[in-house]
Amino acid sequence: MLDALSLVIFGRHVRVQCQDAATRALFVAKYGHMQGRQGPIALQYSVGRQGETGGFFVGRAGQAPSPASNPGELLFLFEKDMTVELEKLRPDLYFIHAAVLAFGHEAVMLVGESGSGKSTTTWALLHHGCRYFSDELGPVDLQTGEVYPYPHALCLKDVPPGPYPLPTNTLYTAHALHIPTAALPSEVGEGPALLSAIFFVQYRPGAAAPAVQGLSKAEAAARLFANALNPLAHVGDGLDGAIEVSTRVASLRLFSGDLTATCALVKATLKSLLSNEEARRCLEGPCSHP
Amino acid sequence: MNKPADHPKRRTDVNVRMIDGEVVVLDRQAGLIHQLNQTASYIWDRCDGQSTVAELADQLAVAFDVDANTAVHDVATIIVQLHRLGLIESPNNMPGSP
Repeated sequence: MLDALSLVIFGRHVRVQCQDAATRALFVAKYGHMQGRQGPIALQYSVGRQGETGGFFVGRAGQAPSPASNPGELLFLFEKDMTVELEKLRPDLYFIHAAVLAFGHEAVMLVGESGSGKSTTTWALLHHGCRYFSDELGPVDLQTGEVYPYPHALCLKDVPPGPYPLPTNTLYTAHALHIPTAALPSEVGEGPALLSAIFFVQYRPGAAAPAVQGLSKAEAAARLFANALNPLAHVGDGLDGAIEVSTRVASLRLFSGDLTATCALVKATLKSLLSNEEARRCLEGPCSHP
Repeated sequence: MNKPADHPKRRTDVNVRMIDGEVVVLDRQAGLIHQLNQTASYIWDRCDGQSTVAELADQLAVAFDVDANTAVHDVATIIVQLHRLGLIESPNNMPGSP
């Protein structure tokens, strides 16, 4: 029996028992940065190969295991179940479907529909002095205004355009590319950071240049609510949480385009928004642009 | 008897919040969230089932300093949109209707 993988996510201990070395390597590549032990086991999973079928399975303790036909589906099913369970374990956090980056102690969120380019934009921005928090999940503490990191491997649907090539140890699955945190060109967030700005990302293929527009707090609240994952765990059916977040931060609509130009625009916009000295130093620092 | 179309009445079974003069309406029944601009928010706030469309237009003209024709047009357009979004009670969506 292989050693179980112990993860600490949002202060909760998640234990993953991998049945074979290849599956364990897959999970270490995807979730390795969150390894640790803290407190009693809150969630327990078993994952691995399913007999002679060539398929996989994922099962949470006390539940019937679900089959997966390939490693990509295995990761998808595990993550989907685990994040729902984590939302139940931390109902105090307001979970938003978003990518999150941090400049110094200030966090910036990218919110957008699937396919809007938020992960690709995140991958590019990681070459420009920020820390990686997540490409998928932005849990906000409504009391403090802080957002917590969820640094699983960054997931892209397609090979990004230049000049941001993929690292050699990128993990390829049937429907996605996973960049382990160890291969990121940036540091990875270890603790919560104050959420200061939100970009609502909309990809405009073929647009001459990216653009940024201010958003009213009401529109930002409505858009945030539409991307909230656990609104019903909060008062006012979650509407008050979205308003709480939108009234604390700067909200902008980002029409993304050429990646390099988009990164330059985001950095220039943030220079005028972020007040923290360390955040400004990060924005003015050298890029790890290839 | 007043017709609902003459005396528009905003739905009361939705979650409503006002932020900086703009209304956000969460309609859980329809699974939709709406954000109204300042003009629509002003009209929505006054759709109490008592005021007529003409009275709403008069109020809008004063509050936003626009001429009467513009106000009548804007109110009519917004009421139609609110109806389409299901945010104004109508004979078909009034409480108690089948």
